[in-house]
Amino acid sequence: MTIFGALGIASTGLTVHRKWLDAVSDNLSNVNTVRSTTEDAFQARYVVAQEMTSGDGGVQVAGILLGDPEGRVVYQPDHPLADELGYVRYPDIDMSSQMTQLIMAQRGYEANAAVVDRARETYAAALQIGR
Amino acid sequence: MSFAVTPVTAVTPAVPTVDLGAPAPVAGDPAAGARFDSVLGGIDALQQLQSTSQGLAVKAVTGDLDDVHDYTIAAAEASTALELTAAVRNKAVDAFTEIMRMQA
Repeated sequence: MTIFGALGIASTGLTVHRKWLDAVSDNLSNVNTVRSTTEDAFQARYVVAQEMTSGDGGVQVAGILLGDPEGRVVYQPDHPLADELGYVRYPDIDMSSQMTQLIMAQRGYEANAAVVDRARETYAAALQIGR
Repeated sequence: MSFAVTPVTAVTPAVPTVDLGAPAPVAGDPAAGARFDSVLGGIDALQQLQSTSQGLAVKAVTGDLDDVHDYTIAAAEASTALELTAAVRNKAVDAFTEIMRMQA
Protein backbone atom coordinates (compact mmCIF):
# COMPACT_ATOMS: atom_id res chain seq x y z
CA MET A 1 0.00 0.00 0.00
CA THR A 2 1.59 3.24 -1.11
CA ILE A 3 1.22 6.60 0.63
CA PHE A 4 -1.63 7.80 -1.60
CA GLY A 5 -3.26 4.37 -1.99
CA ALA A 6 -6.85 5.62 -1.83
CA LEU A 7 -6.20 8.15 -4.59
CA GLY A 8 -4.70 5.53 -6.91
CA ILE A 9 -7.51 3.05 -6.30
CA ALA A 10 -10.19 5.70 -6.84
CA SER A 11 -8.38 6.63 -10.03
CA THR A 12 -8.78 3.09 -11.40
CA GLY A 13 -12.50 3.26 -10.54
CA LEU A 14 -12.81 6.56 -12.37
CA THR A 15 -11.09 5.10 -15.44
CA VAL A 16 -13.40 2.06 -15.58
CA HIS A 17 -16.52 4.20 -15.24
CA ARG A 18 -15.23 6.59 -17.89
CA LYS A 19 -14.80 3.63 -20.25
CA TRP A 20 -18.30 2.43 -19.39
CA LEU A 21 -19.56 5.93 -20.22
CA ASP A 22 -17.67 5.71 -23.54
CA ALA A 23 -19.28 2.34 -24.30
CA VAL A 24 -22.79 3.61 -23.57
CA SER A 25 -22.07 6.69 -25.64
CA ASP A 26 -20.96 4.46 -28.52
CA ASN A 27 -24.10 2.33 -28.24
CA LEU A 28 -26.46 5.31 -28.12
CA SER A 29 -24.79 7.11 -31.00
CA ASN A 30 -25.14 3.98 -33.17
CA VAL A 31 -28.71 3.21 -32.19
CA ASN A 32 -29.92 4.16 -35.67
CA THR A 33 -26.99 2.78 -37.64
CA VAL A 34 -28.53 0.80 -40.48
CA ARG A 35 -26.79 -2.02 -42.32
CA SER A 36 -27.92 -4.16 -45.18
CA THR A 37 -29.13 -7.67 -44.31
CA THR A 38 -25.98 -9.20 -45.87
CA GLU A 39 -23.84 -7.54 -43.15
CA ASP A 40 -23.74 -7.87 -39.37
CA ALA A 41 -25.65 -5.21 -37.45
CA PHE A 42 -23.76 -2.78 -35.20
CA GLN A 43 -22.91 -4.76 -32.06
CA ALA A 44 -23.50 -3.08 -28.71
CA ARG A 45 -20.37 -2.72 -26.53
CA TYR A 46 -20.42 -4.02 -22.97
CA VAL A 47 -17.53 -3.23 -20.60
CA VAL A 48 -16.37 -6.12 -18.40
CA ALA A 49 -14.94 -4.91 -15.09
CA GLN A 50 -12.47 -7.00 -13.09
CA GLU A 51 -10.73 -6.40 -9.76
CA MET A 52 -6.97 -5.82 -9.74
CA THR A 53 -5.04 -8.31 -7.66
CA SER A 54 -1.59 -6.72 -8.00
CA GLY A 55 -0.31 -3.54 -6.38
CA ASP A 56 -2.71 -1.42 -4.34
CA GLY A 57 -5.78 -3.07 -5.82
CA GLY A 58 -8.59 -1.34 -7.63
CA VAL A 59 -10.50 -2.24 -10.75
CA GLN A 60 -9.71 -2.58 -14.43
CA VAL A 61 -11.45 -3.29 -17.70
CA ALA A 62 -10.95 -6.98 -18.52
CA GLY A 63 -12.36 -6.56 -22.01
CA ILE A 64 -15.29 -5.53 -24.15
CA LEU A 65 -18.10 -7.95 -24.95
CA LEU A 66 -20.09 -7.42 -28.14
CA GLY A 67 -23.84 -7.71 -28.51
CA ASP A 68 -25.92 -9.66 -31.00
CA PRO A 69 -24.73 -9.26 -34.64
CA GLU A 70 -28.16 -10.35 -35.88
CA GLY A 71 -29.73 -7.08 -34.73
CA ARG A 72 -33.33 -6.35 -35.61
CA VAL A 73 -34.46 -6.96 -39.19
CA VAL A 74 -36.85 -4.18 -40.12
CA TYR A 75 -39.05 -3.86 -43.21
CA GLN A 76 -38.10 -0.54 -44.81
CA PRO A 77 -38.32 -0.88 -48.58
CA ASP A 78 -37.61 2.83 -49.24
CA HIS A 79 -34.21 2.59 -47.53
CA PRO A 80 -31.21 2.68 -49.91
CA LEU A 81 -29.66 -0.33 -48.15
CA ALA A 82 -32.83 -2.45 -48.28
CA ASP A 83 -32.50 -5.88 -49.88
CA GLU A 84 -34.78 -7.15 -52.65
CA LEU A 85 -37.45 -8.08 -50.04
CA GLY A 86 -37.26 -4.59 -48.50
CA TYR A 87 -35.48 -5.45 -45.24
CA VAL A 88 -32.59 -3.69 -43.42
CA ARG A 89 -30.72 -4.51 -40.21
CA TYR A 90 -30.88 -2.24 -37.15
CA PRO A 91 -28.70 -2.82 -34.05
CA ASP A 92 -30.40 -4.64 -31.21
CA ILE A 93 -29.88 -1.95 -28.56
CA ASP A 94 -32.37 -1.49 -25.74
CA MET A 95 -32.67 2.25 -25.18
CA SER A 96 -33.97 2.07 -21.61
CA SER A 97 -31.22 -0.37 -20.62
CA GLN A 98 -28.62 1.99 -22.11
CA MET A 99 -30.08 4.98 -20.25
CA THR A 100 -30.01 3.00 -17.00
CA GLN A 101 -26.39 2.06 -17.62
CA LEU A 102 -25.64 5.71 -18.36
CA ILE A 103 -26.95 6.71 -14.94
CA MET A 104 -25.04 3.87 -13.24
CA ALA A 105 -21.78 4.85 -14.98
CA GLN A 106 -22.25 8.51 -14.05
CA ARG A 107 -23.08 7.75 -10.41
CA GLY A 108 -20.17 5.33 -10.15
CA TYR A 109 -17.83 7.98 -11.54
CA GLU A 110 -19.17 10.54 -9.07
CA ALA A 111 -18.77 8.10 -6.17
CA ASN A 112 -15.10 7.56 -7.04
CA ALA A 113 -14.58 11.31 -7.44
CA ALA A 114 -16.10 11.73 -3.95
CA VAL A 115 -13.56 9.20 -2.62
CA VAL A 116 -10.75 11.31 -4.13
CA ASP A 117 -12.13 14.43 -2.42
CA ARG A 118 -12.51 12.72 0.95
CA ALA A 119 -9.03 11.19 0.71
CA ARG A 120 -7.53 14.62 0.01
CA GLU A 121 -9.37 16.09 3.00
CA THR A 122 -8.17 13.19 5.15
CA TYR A 123 -4.52 13.64 4.16
CA ALA A 124 -4.87 17.40 4.78
CA ALA A 125 -6.26 16.63 8.26
CA ALA A 126 -3.31 14.34 8.93
CA LEU A 127 -0.95 17.22 8.12
CA GLN A 128 -2.67 19.32 10.79
CA ILE A 129 -1.82 16.83 13.55
CA GLY A 130 0.52 18.39 16.09
CA ARG A 131 0.24 21.91 14.67
CA MET B 1 49.20 13.63 23.21
CA SER B 2 47.28 11.31 25.42
CA PHE B 3 46.03 14.43 27.23
CA ALA B 4 44.72 15.72 23.95
CA VAL B 5 42.82 12.50 23.50
CA THR B 6 41.16 12.61 26.92
CA PRO B 7 39.31 15.92 26.26
CA VAL B 8 37.86 14.32 23.17
CA THR B 9 36.35 11.53 25.23
CA ALA B 10 35.11 14.24 27.60
CA VAL B 11 33.33 15.93 24.73
CA THR B 12 31.71 12.72 23.54
CA PRO B 13 29.75 12.20 26.79
CA ALA B 14 28.34 15.68 26.10
CA VAL B 15 26.51 14.08 23.14
CA PRO B 16 23.98 12.54 25.62
CA THR B 17 22.37 16.02 25.44
CA VAL B 18 20.63 14.32 22.53
CA ASP B 19 18.82 12.39 25.26
CA LEU B 20 17.53 15.76 26.50
CA GLY B 21 16.33 16.24 23.00
CA ALA B 22 14.41 13.00 23.45
CA PRO B 23 11.11 14.81 22.73
CA ALA B 24 12.67 15.17 19.26
CA PRO B 25 11.57 11.58 18.33
CA VAL B 26 8.44 13.40 17.17
CA ALA B 27 10.58 14.34 14.18
CA GLY B 28 11.41 10.68 13.68
CA ASP B 29 14.99 9.70 14.34
CA PRO B 30 17.51 10.00 17.17
CA ALA B 31 20.40 10.20 14.70
CA ALA B 32 20.62 13.63 13.04
CA GLY B 33 22.21 12.25 9.85
CA ALA B 34 19.44 9.73 9.35
CA ARG B 35 16.86 12.45 9.89
CA PHE B 36 18.23 14.58 7.08
CA ASP B 37 18.50 11.51 4.87
CA SER B 38 14.79 10.86 5.28
CA VAL B 39 13.94 14.49 4.47
CA LEU B 40 16.08 14.33 1.32
CA GLY B 41 14.50 11.01 0.31
CA GLY B 42 11.08 12.65 0.64
CA ILE B 43 12.20 15.45 -1.66
CA ASP B 44 13.23 12.88 -4.28
CA ALA B 45 9.78 11.25 -4.12
CA LEU B 46 8.19 14.72 -4.33
CA GLN B 47 10.26 15.51 -7.42
CA GLN B 48 8.94 12.32 -9.03
CA LEU B 49 5.29 13.25 -8.30
CA GLN B 50 5.78 16.81 -9.54
CA SER B 51 7.27 15.63 -12.85
CA THR B 52 4.44 13.10 -13.33
CA SER B 53 1.93 15.90 -12.74
CA GLN B 54 3.77 18.22 -15.13
CA GLY B 55 3.95 15.54 -17.83
CA LEU B 56 0.19 15.02 -17.58
CA ALA B 57 -0.38 18.80 -17.73
CA VAL B 58 1.55 18.91 -21.00
CA LYS B 59 -0.51 15.96 -22.28
CA ALA B 60 -3.71 17.82 -21.34
CA VAL B 61 -2.61 20.86 -23.33
CA THR B 62 -1.52 18.86 -26.37
CA GLY B 63 -4.69 16.77 -26.35
CA ASP B 64 -2.96 13.48 -25.51
CA LEU B 65 -4.65 13.11 -22.13
CA ASP B 66 -6.97 10.08 -22.00
CA ASP B 67 -8.48 10.72 -18.59
CA VAL B 68 -9.13 14.13 -17.06
CA HIS B 69 -8.92 12.65 -13.58
CA ASP B 70 -5.41 11.29 -14.26
CA TYR B 71 -4.11 14.85 -14.25
CA THR B 72 -6.24 16.18 -11.39
CA ILE B 73 -5.32 13.23 -9.15
CA ALA B 74 -1.62 13.53 -10.00
CA ALA B 75 -1.82 17.25 -9.18
CA ALA B 76 -3.59 16.46 -5.89
CA GLU B 77 -0.91 13.90 -5.00
CA ALA B 78 1.88 16.32 -5.86
CA SER B 79 0.43 19.18 -3.81
CA THR B 80 -0.30 16.91 -0.82
CA ALA B 81 3.23 15.51 -1.00
CA LEU B 82 4.61 19.05 -1.16
CA GLU B 83 2.66 20.00 1.96
CA LEU B 84 3.85 16.81 3.67
CA THR B 85 7.48 17.50 2.78
CA ALA B 86 7.15 21.10 4.00
CA ALA B 87 5.61 19.84 7.26
CA VAL B 88 8.45 17.35 7.79
CA ARG B 89 11.02 20.03 6.96
CA ASN B 90 9.42 22.45 9.42
CA LYS B 91 9.41 19.79 12.14
CA ALA B 92 13.09 19.06 11.50
CA VAL B 93 14.01 22.76 11.58
CA ASP B 94 11.93 23.26 14.74
CA ALA B 95 13.74 20.40 16.45
CA PHE B 96 17.08 21.77 15.31
CA THR B 97 16.41 25.31 16.58
CA GLU B 98 15.16 23.81 19.85
CA ILE B 99 18.50 22.05 20.28
CA MET B 100 20.37 25.29 19.39
CA ARG B 101 18.39 27.12 22.09
CA MET B 102 19.50 24.51 24.62
CA GLN B 103 23.13 25.33 23.99
CA ALA B 104 22.57 29.09 24.47
